[in-house]
Amino acid sequence: MNNLLEQFLSEGRDFLQGIGEKLMQLEDEPNSTPLMTELFRFVHTLKGNSGLFEFPEMTRVLHASEDLMDAVRNGRVGYSQDLADQLLDAMDFVGMLMDEIEATGEISKNHAVPAAEHAQVLRSLLVVSESNADSNSDLHTSSEIKSEVNSLLAELPIFELEESVAEELYLHALEGETAFWVEYKPESDCFFKGEDPLFLMRQVPDTLWRHIILNNTAPILAEMDVYSNQLVFQLLTTAPSEELDDLFRYVPDEIKRIEIPALAFVRPTGNQDDHAIDIDFIDNALALLNKNNISVLTQIINTMLELSAPELWSSSVLRWVLRLLEHEPDNKTAQHALLKSLQTLTAPDWSAPAEHVERSDSKEVEHATTSVNVRKTEEDDELLQNFYVVVNAQREILSLSHKSGFSWTAGRLKSIASTLMGCYRAVNRECNIDNVLERALAENSPTPLLTWLEESLANNEQDVEIEVETDFSEISTSSESTPNALISDHKDAHENVVHNEAKTARRVDEVSTVVPKTLKVDQDKIDRLMNLIGEMVVAKNALPYLANRAETVFGVRDLSREIKAQYAVINRVAEEMQDTIMQVRMMPVSFIFQRFPRMVRDISRKLGKEVELVLEGESTEADKNIVEALSDPLIHIVRNSLDHGLEQPDVRLAAGKNATGKLTIRATQESDRVLIEIMDDGKGIDPKIIKHKAYEKGLIDETTLERISDQDAINLIFAAGFSTVEVISDLSGRGVGMDVVRSAVEKVNGTVGIESQVGKGTRIHLSLPLSMAVTNVIIIESNKQIFGVPMDMVVETVRVPRSQIRTIKHKQTTVLRGRVVPLLSLNQLLARGVEQLPNEDDEFATLIVRVHGEHIGILVDEFRETVDIILKPMAGILGGLSSYSGAALLGDGSVLMVLNPRELI
Amino acid sequence: MKHILVIDDAATVRMYHRNILETAGYRVDEAINGIEALEKALVKPYDLYIVDVNMPKLDGYGFLKEFRRQEDLSQTPAIMVTTEAGANDRALGYAAGANLYLTKPIKPHELLSYTRLLLGDLA
Repeated sequence: MNNLLEQFLSEGRDFLQGIGEKLMQLEDEPNSTPLMTELFRFVHTLKGNSGLFEFPEMTRVLHASEDLMDAVRNGRVGYSQDLADQLLDAMDFVGMLMDEIEATGEISKNHAVPAAEHAQVLRSLLVVSESNADSNSDLHTSSEIKSEVNSLLAELPIFELEESVAEELYLHALEGETAFWVEYKPESDCFFKGEDPLFLMRQVPDTLWRHIILNNTAPILAEMDVYSNQLVFQLLTTAPSEELDDLFRYVPDEIKRIEIPALAFVRPTGNQDDHAIDIDFIDNALALLNKNNISVLTQIINTMLELSAPELWSSSVLRWVLRLLEHEPDNKTAQHALLKSLQTLTAPDWSAPAEHVERSDSKEVEHATTSVNVRKTEEDDELLQNFYVVVNAQREILSLSHKSGFSWTAGRLKSIASTLMGCYRAVNRECNIDNVLERALAENSPTPLLTWLEESLANNEQDVEIEVETDFSEISTSSESTPNALISDHKDAHENVVHNEAKTARRVDEVSTVVPKTLKVDQDKIDRLMNLIGEMVVAKNALPYLANRAETVFGVRDLSREIKAQYAVINRVAEEMQDTIMQVRMMPVSFIFQRFPRMVRDISRKLGKEVELVLEGESTEADKNIVEALSDPLIHIVRNSLDHGLEQPDVRLAAGKNATGKLTIRATQESDRVLIEIMDDGKGIDPKIIKHKAYEKGLIDETTLERISDQDAINLIFAAGFSTVEVISDLSGRGVGMDVVRSAVEKVNGTVGIESQVGKGTRIHLSLPLSMAVTNVIIIESNKQIFGVPMDMVVETVRVPRSQIRTIKHKQTTVLRGRVVPLLSLNQLLARGVEQLPNEDDEFATLIVRVHGEHIGILVDEFRETVDIILKPMAGILGGLSSYSGAALLGDGSVLMVLNPRELI
Repeated sequence: MKHILVIDDAATVRMYHRNILETAGYRVDEAINGIEALEKALVKPYDLYIVDVNMPKLDGYGFLKEFRRQEDLSQTPAIMVTTEAGANDRALGYAAGANLYLTKPIKPHELLSYTRLLLGDLA
């Protein structure tokens, strides 16, 4: 992927994010003009960016969104929730396209239809609200829609039309009859609904062309279901639209109907392999067209037609030129484009020339140097053409003052003179403008310059050409609106000057510039850096071993001390480095919080509930991995709260609560952990229901059912396979319950807890480490091997005398500060079949760990030190051993296996 | 080497223009809105300004108006590049002080050709 595209995607995502946020904010203040302006600017810029690439689907949707936002901004369309919904949907679609571009580098053709649908929906909002707006904007909209249609048109198989049919359609369309392209895609089970698609299509009056194609690909013959429909019907008709509506009234959803402008039928057909028409002839014809010498032009074309075989593609082009000359004599643009197509041998694209050209252009940037010579003459042509564009622009500017009467400044006049001088110099023409400029400056008037310019142009004997070129320049500079330019007229030029004055009256020193000094870095690079730091920490840890060896093996005490001193320095730097990298990886939880307003809004509307969402502590930071791991569990919990926790407004009112439920999500930092709380003031969890449910599902036995405390009962919702709702809704309760939340949180060394009061609400709290890059483990020894145990699971280490160990129901236990703690031997857990070794006083080293809220003692042989390690998950076949959470390298190069007590026990 | 200031709030567009112009041997600076552009131009005037219309803080029209008021800068040509394709938009651009009004998406050779014309450079 090239840099420009990467830049586009990265910037585009920011814009999408911004658009989403602004839309949410607009919901609270629907009349805020700054918000609307900002929103429009985001959409506008994103659309502009997308136009640099060949992503017509994306541009189409964004264009529609932009027009809609423009209308909203100018108050022509009122802001509504429906409108916001549609825009959000459209932005989601654009986001999806971006993902696809990032993955594959392009957009699949399948998106053309959904893109058109999105655009259609957005435009329908525009049209509905604008039906009573002023005629000018109406014109604008309808031509916009036409351009929409035209770009759709490019994908249709019209080129298969025979020339005579195309001509007939073209003439019909010119006469004001509308030609429709109809595509009928019957459902596959349509035969069972009494539909007869073929009959229906044959019913369509005034059909000039019919076509049947296979829907998708042909199925394998053996698997083909002859009773299901596989076909798509297409036709062209000039029947009135009401008649079509009536005919297809039972299958409106399966019909796609597009009105086709006359020009779309102008598509040359025939054999293209033969050599092209003589260049001289084309130049001659173009010159005649420019001079508007139609009779001679017609004559030479007729002669040429007599000389060439009629089935040739070029003959077809010439016949079309004649038809255009006859029926649309004023449409010079189209005539010109057709004649030009004789040079290029490609049919003029009436629909979307800009998009078409763009593909070759973006490559051009990269290959500019190589292709310069080949296109030298073309460039000269272009330069000359552009020369007239620029000169005419100066003329337009100079004439401007007559109408709007603003005062001329010296600088403005100079800038025009310098532009003119530049232009003339670039095309090697004389430009003695200095005297004229001085006179203009003395009079402070544009007139001398204007007079000079008019004279200079007249002297060039090319007035005719200039006029023609100017016409074309209008098209080439407004490539997006080309179809409009072909079809409709220009608007009045000077209607909006007042508006402009207001717009530009802002003061410059109003706002100061703030350029954020941030850098966007690929996450892979940070991860790589993190891994390198990890390796360095390990390598650094080798130094104390080395110092020990220097002293004990080689007996050089001084060297040992020096190594130790140096180690202290390296250690400090390494730790600082590690902290810094970890800081880089930190990101605010707002990264996941920001999606909640939208989600809560969507879900609560779907459920018909009223919910106020309160987000707190969004700036709390944690490691990227942690924040990302938090995302799914949080979404699940929020969905649960909305679906099961908060009640319908009437139920709430009946219970004496506010009709609007309150959902609070709060993040706080406590030492090296992030706490996330999700609180709702809903109906709470009834422990009785939980108990019975758990009993029914066989999660607890009868005695437990009697004795279990309410809190323990509520905790049962974290048990695997527990779901209290019978009916599975599409929001929560898809068979995955809170157990999935718990395992996701525990995977990143987090814990989850729940408190609930019936009728008052529920509070779920998650506690997560700030970072998971470095794990603090205690090293223990058992059966002459060393193992690591994560410190955040260890409650304490004690030595339990053999006399204190009791056996209850064949299980070893001890009493620790009045609490019964079950004991397990590590050797037994690892199936070593060896007794643990006690110390001289016959005490067992016991590690008390907390697993699922319970304290359990693990007997080991001996404790060693605690170390910070970089925990690497085990790869390959060892990865399946769930009793280990991973392995780490120690300073002396040996491998430490880190146990996962949760799975072990 | 001639020095051009590209003023656009979209980083993608700035990069696009920069690619084209630098390939052709021009020096390019960027500004993300009218205010930044004015600040940069006042420190060191450029040979050509390529200005977007719709920008936060100070838009293209505002920039050009203010720019034309500055004694030292006002004689420099400026191209306005925008997606607003209407004829009245063009008139607004000219009234504000643009010397040329181009419509996005602008093709690389187009941009280059106009740049050369305004700067009087032979291809």
